[in-house]
Amino acid sequence: MQNKQYQFLRNKWVRKHRDLAEKLSKKHRSSFQWLSENSKQLALGSLGGLMILTSPVNKGLTGPQVKIASEEAQKIDNKVFLISDLSSILPNEVRPLTSEEESRVGEILSKTFGMKVSAILNELRLNRSYGLIGAEQHLRRYPGDTMSTHFDNPDDSANYYSSGIAPGLGAWGYFATSSSHMTLEDSMREKYYIAVQTFLAPDFNNKVAIYRDFFRFRKMLVVNPENGKAVVTVIGDVGPSEWTGKHLGGSPEVMKHLERVDGAMKGPVLYYFIDDPNDLIPLGPVEPVQ
Amino acid sequence: MKKYFYSHVVETSSISLTLADMDLTKEERKHLIDLAQENLHHAILEAVLSELSEKDKQEFLVLLASDEHDKIWKLLSERVDHIEDKIKQTAQDLKKELHNDIEESKKQ
Repeated sequence: MQNKQYQFLRNKWVRKHRDLAEKLSKKHRSSFQWLSENSKQLALGSLGGLMILTSPVNKGLTGPQVKIASEEAQKIDNKVFLISDLSSILPNEVRPLTSEEESRVGEILSKTFGMKVSAILNELRLNRSYGLIGAEQHLRRYPGDTMSTHFDNPDDSANYYSSGIAPGLGAWGYFATSSSHMTLEDSMREKYYIAVQTFLAPDFNNKVAIYRDFFRFRKMLVVNPENGKAVVTVIGDVGPSEWTGKHLGGSPEVMKHLERVDGAMKGPVLYYFIDDPNDLIPLGPVEPVQ
Repeated sequence: MKKYFYSHVVETSSISLTLADMDLTKEERKHLIDLAQENLHHAILEAVLSELSEKDKQEFLVLLASDEHDKIWKLLSERVDHIEDKIKQTAQDLKKELHNDIEESKKQ
């Protein structure tokens, strides 16, 4: 049994489509006819951009197709909607978003992941919310943490050993004072950390202390807009330098989940503050809720 | 989602997000999004073609069929005053209609 709202909208929008197509065809018939007659000579690869004749209006979910659709229900991933929605807003080039774009993206991410996210929180913000992420190394979690002590299990070691460990500490120092004081939270913070350009935040030099307290382990949602993969992270380090051409860095675990592990090790992501005053949202990969 | 020459000035996420709040299956939601996008596409094409001469229409359609977005914008900017505003307005008017339809559907 199909939803009445769906039926209503489908019927209405199919009618609307028919009217628009008819108007278009009638009013500009000679131009389309000319194109059709000359498409071979013009060596046009595809008439896809026109989208005149092939249309999903003829593929409504009616009759036997309802059954097929329900059988295929598992195949449509919610990420499809996320990718589609983001692609209608994000620019082709990786540049800082306008405030309107930033706000729309924030709305999409909040709804999609069921958490409140925004580019501005407590009237503070980073230099941008859309940028190129590059790979970072593991961070030392406590004094004496080395590659031989760093991994919780053989799988993690096999997956992430090759990334190595940074020679220096993260921006906030060690995550714990010793191995015995390490908590699950400390471990997760190191696994899912990002490095952001705090030093480029607006008016940073006049608000160093405010920003330091705000950024320290601040939760951020990082999303790869090209595949819809997302991860809840914390700000665990500062960087990268401007000359690198990158705008933020991700731990080996973050990069692997976002599938930003190609040869270039660099690609665009969205990064938004998570408003989670009661610390209820767990760190790590997150899936769309709608 | 396929990018069209106007994609950077016309957002469709507001319709998608409104549909996301309704009790629809994923297939129904996707089908309605596709319909909305096609309606927008046709309305924008109509608006653009109505501004062009016969000769310019042919040039436009050739570029459209080849997905040559930069050349399309160059052509439109040279031949039509305030074309971006006209496209935005067309899209805005239709989206308003579509949102009204969505509100009406909730009374069913």
